[in-house]
Amino acid sequence: MINITNLEKVYRTDEVETIALNKLSIEIKKGEFVAVMGPSGCGKSTLLNILGLLDDPDAGSFVFNGTEIAKYNERQRAELRKHNIGFVFQSFNLIDELTVFENVELPLIYTGVKASERKQKVDEVLEKVQIMHRRNHYPQQLSGGQQQRVAVARAVVNNPKLILADEPTGNLDSSNGNEVMELLTNLNEQGTTIIMVTHSEHDARYSHRIIRMLDGQTVTENILI
Amino acid sequence: MLKNYFVTAFRNLARNKSFLLINVAGLTIGIASCLLIFLVIRFELSFDDYHAKKDRIYRVTTVFDRSGGLDYSSGVSVPVAQALRVDYPQLEVANMMSRGNDMITVLEDGKPVKKFRELKGVFFTEPQVFKIFDNKWLAGDPATAITDPFTAALSRSLAVKYFGSWQQAVGKSIVYEKSQPIKITGVFEDVPENSDYPFGVVISQSSNRSLMTNTDWQSTTSDQNCIIVLPENMSAAQFNNMLIAFRKKHAPESSTTLTKISYHLQPLNEIHFDERFGTYNERTFSKELIRGLALIAAFLLIIACVNFINLSTAQAVNRSKEVGIRKVLGGTRRQLVFQFMGETFIITFIAACLATVVTWLMLPFLSDLMEVSITPGAGQIPQLLLFLVAVIVCVTFLSGFYPALILSGFNPISALKSKLSAKSIGGLSLRRVLVVLQFGIAQVLIIATLVVISQMNFFRSTSLGFNQQAVLNIPLPADSVSHSKRNIVRERLMQQPGISNVSYSFSAPADFGAWSSDFNFDHSPVPINFEPSLKWADTGYFSTYGLQMVAGRPYIESDTTREFVVNETLVRKLGLKSPEEALGKEINFWDGRIVAPIVGVVKDFHSNSLKDEMNPVVMGTRERSYRMISVRIDMSKSKELLAKIEKIWNESFPDYVYEYQFMDEKIRNFYRQENQLSQLYKVFAGIAIFISCLGLYGLVSFMAVQRTKEVGIRKVLGASAANIIYLFSKEFTLLISISFLIAAPLAYYFMRDWLNKFVFRIDMGIWFFVVSIAGSLCIAWITVGYRAAKAAFANPVNSLRNE
Ligand SMILES: Nc1ncnc2c1ncn2[C@@H]1O[C@H](COP(=O)(O)OP(=O)(O)OP(=O)(O)O)[C@@H](O)[C@H]1O
Ligand SMILES: [Mg+2]
Repeated sequence: MINITNLEKVYRTDEVETIALNKLSIEIKKGEFVAVMGPSGCGKSTLLNILGLLDDPDAGSFVFNGTEIAKYNERQRAELRKHNIGFVFQSFNLIDELTVFENVELPLIYTGVKASERKQKVDEVLEKVQIMHRRNHYPQQLSGGQQQRVAVARAVVNNPKLILADEPTGNLDSSNGNEVMELLTNLNEQGTTIIMVTHSEHDARYSHRIIRMLDGQTVTENILI
Repeated sequence: MLKNYFVTAFRNLARNKSFLLINVAGLTIGIASCLLIFLVIRFELSFDDYHAKKDRIYRVTTVFDRSGGLDYSSGVSVPVAQALRVDYPQLEVANMMSRGNDMITVLEDGKPVKKFRELKGVFFTEPQVFKIFDNKWLAGDPATAITDPFTAALSRSLAVKYFGSWQQAVGKSIVYEKSQPIKITGVFEDVPENSDYPFGVVISQSSNRSLMTNTDWQSTTSDQNCIIVLPENMSAAQFNNMLIAFRKKHAPESSTTLTKISYHLQPLNEIHFDERFGTYNERTFSKELIRGLALIAAFLLIIACVNFINLSTAQAVNRSKEVGIRKVLGGTRRQLVFQFMGETFIITFIAACLATVVTWLMLPFLSDLMEVSITPGAGQIPQLLLFLVAVIVCVTFLSGFYPALILSGFNPISALKSKLSAKSIGGLSLRRVLVVLQFGIAQVLIIATLVVISQMNFFRSTSLGFNQQAVLNIPLPADSVSHSKRNIVRERLMQQPGISNVSYSFSAPADFGAWSSDFNFDHSPVPINFEPSLKWADTGYFSTYGLQMVAGRPYIESDTTREFVVNETLVRKLGLKSPEEALGKEINFWDGRIVAPIVGVVKDFHSNSLKDEMNPVVMGTRERSYRMISVRIDMSKSKELLAKIEKIWNESFPDYVYEYQFMDEKIRNFYRQENQLSQLYKVFAGIAIFISCLGLYGLVSFMAVQRTKEVGIRKVLGASAANIIYLFSKEFTLLISISFLIAAPLAYYFMRDWLNKFVFRIDMGIWFFVVSIAGSLCIAWITVGYRAAKAAFANPVNSLRNE
């Protein structure tokens, strides 16, 4: 599904150059659940941003579902992104002015789904993440775990082929964290490819494969199953 | 999608209530001012634009080329109209003559029952006039109504005023001044307020003997308008050329004529705007003034938009997260721009609705100020709505586009990382520029206002060279019976304790409408090359108005002209070295019709407003020209005296309507338009300052919230409240100072131009500029200080814990 080779990303700020990704090559197959680990600043988030088409690489190749997309422009990336990729962030990133329902509905709006269909789909996923009873609440009225479940619901409502999660449990206590991990595992079992950045060995054990990074490069890969 | 945008927009607006309030308030005031100015301009531009033949209607005007320069008159000599008709039969020509202040007596069964003094609207004219202008007729036939002598048509409201209802008017009679009865043959709908031909009583020209027998091609009165309709295939330029030959044919110039007279067509759609000619409404509205007002409207709108831009970009940080999420979820930049523009539209729309209400409430005040009713009729509603829509679109784009561009341009990764700070999203320098722009405009308006007000004060407080206080001007009827009562009336008035002087004269020392003429000086065969103003007055005039002699003595009392007194300017213009030199020299008016020596020279006084130059003046006695009585009264007894004077007047002149005016009031009327302008400036400068400060307050509030933590830390480290306030006001002080540096020369340039229109004017001293900058700074400091103080006095523990 994803094939990146010799990917490079360099940040330049005021004469300081940070090589965030250094000739990185990874292959991820359809249906995999991959965890990315490594010390702070090794380039995990950078990798995820590129995989999520939020950022473009400086060099290297990025083949997504058989298409080379490293040179896509912003509009092409946005188009590809909204149909194929869901995001879960450490800090949930829900829009405070919208209710739970409206937050989850948002991706459907941007992909142009009809209103009646939207309602049905949103209710379906809210049911799945067991947050249905809170559908008309605002994010601030929910606990961290609940907020992250809403974020997961929002990530999957479009039936994306790929879910990218950047430390999804980073802001949660262990029981809430486990709930979210169970949710991701379920999604994966239903066929969604998941790439997750995490600092927790415990969470990483939910995945099939752990990619360990250091200074913008992969160092080892542990196959768990 | 739309629903989602609206939901976010409304919740966002509801969350930032102060932001909403400031923006809506600013935009409401801005748009309301715009609407009001639009109404004024629309009204003024609509003058006489409703006539079917408007593009072919012209007024024949007269231009006098004197050695001193060009003079303009809206009128022509009386025989011009008839000659035009004969020479160019293809024209529709109407000769019309208006007289103000005329007395109309209403007859019932041949007996006078009511008297009215009509200040305007009484016209002598020819039946063609109704083919030229569109008037809706209620009764009678416009083609024949005023063909016969002593027939007249009335406007609906005058018909109601005279006869109770317009249906009863036709067939009844009125009397004009002392004329024979005039039969009412028609009633037409009231002329709309936006016409410079305000027909009220339209009397057939054939009723007026002096008009019918006039063959003088040299003298002209501005009241004598000649209106023509050009045929479809003729241009004004073509006809102007024909007019040269026309003048030559009928009034060939002799080699000794000093004043060259020519005729020019003035299109109907310029009559209302050309100050040089004037109108029957005694009011023109220059295109320059219209442009000025439009500019002010644009300025106020821009100031309000600036507020919006400043606050939205400052607030952008708070919305970066939302932008980030929307982009991650697949929102395109175009969608986001659309969303934010939509929010701007909502605010603008709310403001526009409120502005409409405010405009409606303010209309009566503005109408009062402008002395015309600018309230739009039902017919103008679509036009008004169109303008409102245009304003909404403009404001939405002006104020929404840039913030939307900024917001939608956020990089989603940084936006989500909250790496954006108020500084990094840019717009900071733009905000500075906009604050400078805003206060620049405000300060130009402040300086302009100060200059206009000072010039008005100067007009009001500068002595015209005679004592204008406590003198009452009342009319003296022109007929010989009334004139024969002069001495009795004077005696009766003088018997009243509190009345110290009574004088008869043609006009007041300074008055509207002057009588001027040249003369032959000291037996010279050629007349002098300028036209002094003629002031016919009795000897009492000197003491009544406190005129002072610089040489010789006042003339002796007489009914005819036996001696002249002239003023210093006249002496100077004659080229004489001293006033004494003029004494004993002879003045000869109109080929010897009045010949008398100069016996005195009076100290200069202004015979018109301070806008114009000091005129040369010739004074003499001439009983038959007296038209007014000047009475100096003791103002502490003014109430009883006014009643007494009215009683004496009515007993002496029972056939006429009493009216009075104080001299200083008359002088104030010279400056009516300037006074209106100064009022307008005051209001709009105030509004500009207010909106600007509103924006400043919003910006500072935002800064205060952003910097709560910084303020907290500074206070913990020992900063005083004053330090904190200084921290906030430092930047704005600088910005306002920069805006002053831009505004001052601009204002100086514009206002110097404006002042140059007046011969007597103030100097634009430094203090206007000092007051402007000091005032702006003070107001800004108060605004900023108030908000900053709130931040400064907050307990630092609270602000730090909140983070
Ligand atoms: N916008 C940026 N500008 C400059 N340097 C950046 C930027 N984003 C990341 N970096 C740098 O690139 C490197 C990789 O950053 P990245 O965020 O990918 O690390 P990470 O592995 O996700 O770290 P953490 O575990 O702390 O989240 C770091 O050295 C970081 O400082
Ligand atoms: Mg990271």
